[in-house]
Amino acid sequence: MMAQLARLAGTGAQSGRGSLGTDISAAVLALVAMAILGNLVEEFTAFEWSLWAIQAILALSLVLIWGYGGIFSFGQAAIYGIGGYTYGFWAINFADNTGETLTAVVAAVVVGAAFAALLGYFMFYGNVTNVYVAIITLATSLVLFAFVNSTSGSEYRIGDAPFGGYNGMTRIPRLTWRLPGGASHELTRVQFFVVCVAAGLLIAVGIRMLSRRPFGRVAVAMQHNELRTELSGYNVRSHKLALFTIGGGIAAFAGALFSAWGRFISPPVFSLTPAALVVIWVLVGSRSSVAGAFIGVLIVEGLSSWAGGADGNNEPIVLGAILVFIVLFLPGGVIANAAKVWAMTGSQALNRWSKPPTPPEAALRSQPKPGSSVFDWMTEANGVRSNTPIATRNVTKRFGGITAVDNVTIDFPPTGVSCLIGPNGAGKSTLFGLLSGQYSVTDGSVLLEEQNLTKWPAFQRARQGIGVKLQVASIFKELSVRENLWLACFALPHNRATADDRAEQLLEWLELGDHAQNPAGTLSHGQQQWLEIGMVVATKPCVVLLDEPTAGMTREETRRTGELVAQLGERASVIVVEHDMEFVRQLSAPVTVLHRGRLFTQGSFDELSRDERILDIYLGRE
Amino acid sequence: MALDRLFNLGFDLFSGISILLLVSIGLAVIFGMRGIINLAHGEFIMLGAFATLSGVRSGLNVWLAMLVAAVAVGIFGLVLERLLIRRLYGRLFDTMLATWGVSLILVQVVDNHYGSVTEGIRVPVGSFTVGEFSMSAYNLILMGAAAALTVGTFTVMRKTRYGLLARAATQSPTMAQELGVNTSLINMWTFGLGSALAGAAGALLAPLVGVIPTMGHTYVARSFMTVIVGGPSFIAGTVSASGLLGLVENVATNRFTPVIGQAMLLIAAIVILRFMPQGLTGRRDTR
Repeated sequence: MMAQLARLAGTGAQSGRGSLGTDISAAVLALVAMAILGNLVEEFTAFEWSLWAIQAILALSLVLIWGYGGIFSFGQAAIYGIGGYTYGFWAINFADNTGETLTAVVAAVVVGAAFAALLGYFMFYGNVTNVYVAIITLATSLVLFAFVNSTSGSEYRIGDAPFGGYNGMTRIPRLTWRLPGGASHELTRVQFFVVCVAAGLLIAVGIRMLSRRPFGRVAVAMQHNELRTELSGYNVRSHKLALFTIGGGIAAFAGALFSAWGRFISPPVFSLTPAALVVIWVLVGSRSSVAGAFIGVLIVEGLSSWAGGADGNNEPIVLGAILVFIVLFLPGGVIANAAKVWAMTGSQALNRWSKPPTPPEAALRSQPKPGSSVFDWMTEANGVRSNTPIATRNVTKRFGGITAVDNVTIDFPPTGVSCLIGPNGAGKSTLFGLLSGQYSVTDGSVLLEEQNLTKWPAFQRARQGIGVKLQVASIFKELSVRENLWLACFALPHNRATADDRAEQLLEWLELGDHAQNPAGTLSHGQQQWLEIGMVVATKPCVVLLDEPTAGMTREETRRTGELVAQLGERASVIVVEHDMEFVRQLSAPVTVLHRGRLFTQGSFDELSRDERILDIYLGRE
Repeated sequence: MALDRLFNLGFDLFSGISILLLVSIGLAVIFGMRGIINLAHGEFIMLGAFATLSGVRSGLNVWLAMLVAAVAVGIFGLVLERLLIRRLYGRLFDTMLATWGVSLILVQVVDNHYGSVTEGIRVPVGSFTVGEFSMSAYNLILMGAAAALTVGTFTVMRKTRYGLLARAATQSPTMAQELGVNTSLINMWTFGLGSALAGAAGALLAPLVGVIPTMGHTYVARSFMTVIVGGPSFIAGTVSASGLLGLVENVATNRFTPVIGQAMLLIAAIVILRFMPQGLTGRRDTR
């Protein structure tokens, strides 16, 4: 009973608020309301509203990749355009024969997703930074714009459908369906409106569902701290690619509906104004909430239609002013700001990652099962890969002209603590980077139990059992302490229940249970270091790399860290980089000295403390 | 291949590279020194062209009008920096969005004022012939100007007091501040310098291309790709990236169409970044 309560409390914290049931009922209610409304108003009004629903779907595609995955793309409107053109080509060529255009919609989604996947592959697997993603997607839109504009010649056609250059593609069939063997039905304007709304709501519910799945949680984690996500054993690049591809499919779907709506599509969909519009909708609404997509479209489009239609010459000026205004005064969008106001009056319903109400203290802590502890499952894992010492063979790392690590060959024992010392710039952190896969070696190899890891990316090494605690605590500061641990626990077995249990055990081990619900950024400096150690342990490492774990800690915190390290050393090979010689003495472990990227000497702390040369190194005496 | 044909191709190629360098160097200064993604960069170029046009219309000598235009755009940049950019340093995405907003506004304001018709500017420079081919002497001026502005920017960054302070403020803003450097003022001048360079590019391009409000869109994508492909040492990087991407664009344009040339430039840039994410002058293996 208690364990179940704890589980509930746990999942509640990780998944944010609301459940699939509530989402579906809300969506069904909205759909019924819209269907009734659509039948009450004039046909033309419903037709106009359809466009807003289509635009909301386009906005949703950006909410998914930007709000959830942290990938900012200017290219959603361009993929929308690709979807629109694809629908046009397909429907014009085949609708007469097949009597329906649903396959054209499918074709549009496939082409849009494929385009996003191709572009995404080059961007994400090239490890370009997020800013470059924005610029590359912008440049791609502009090139598409130039290309489609130049296609007025009659040689630019696919089958019966000409591109049409700057005049665009005309006479695109409306949305039509047909049962096998039956007659074909073209959707009426009101039916089309209902279909658009239903599709939008379905996608919104789907995105919310995804955000509760581990996939969505990893996406959010990735947005907050990409490096730690990777070091926990998640393949960040493939996650980004998957997200971007899904986003592309959704945008292309909206584009197909747009073509079917206006029976027309032209090059300006690739220009900067629509690209700006999508971003503005999402900015005005909220980038991290699906409701924001709908609200943003309603506010912006409603305003511009109320202010005399979007055909006015001054639309770009208004859009530009809105952009500048939001950036300066309303970062986070209308919803987030409204939610802040509501939060004060007690309603937090719209804020997805807001803190859940604190459950009773008793329910928070799971009762430790007899005999179950953090180290049981650690050794259990190490039972499989027993005695897995990590080693380097002649590794060298150069940054430009600087040789940070120079021909180092070193073996670490399968269990126990080892210390790595050396003055600043000796190459300690770089050596760690080479072991963990953050850096690629220039020369030489990295071995884990005879297995050559030299070419492996960081996340695969993490899965293989190499855990790193970085010099500056690398945690998900905006997520709660429990969510931090949960994400690290989930990486390896990919099992929610196990991850829930292990996160609880780790909370207990680190004595952070009282802070489980707090954002990790609110922990003290020492607690953040421990949390990161806990996240490293969560990946069931056989090698633990700790880069200056006690930097900036109080004496008491240092002592406790020493205990945690010693406990770890009983089960895994723990390698500690430290400047605090008192701490190194306390660990009473074999010490390796690095100097100018080279292995200088090895020995016990007492032996080395009698070595004059080491004092010389630290004091800079030659 | 005849020698004159070869010369013509080379002349063409170097014209293209010079244009790429001209439109990128201002952006490189702003992005390289301050990490600001100025999406209104294309519009700064456009403003330079329109300022030149206005100068010529009001009876100014063409060369003088170009100089005035560059200075005017520089001043516009200074004002924009004080009003908007200053508040956004360190907020990468926000600067990008805000300058994008500025870009949308500028295009429409200029469109409302001048209309969207193409206007030409005549320069008192003729052409010369090599063998069977006639080439515009103005392109020689373009090449000279691109080289001069690049060397000039390099000299300013290396030899002047401002350049030293600006580089210090880039590398360690807090340290520079503690040493008594007014980094806010330095930032302002950096943005102004970049804007003036963009203005100069627009002014120099005005006699070559249609001066229209949306002309910035033609340059913004390729200038960004050039600067990104160039990488962290922004002057050397921009020069080498201009050479490489200019070559790709020029060959594709000659072989196919200008649009294909533009697309090939983008594709080449994306492929280069896939394998050298830090750009040409980046540390090749920081991963």
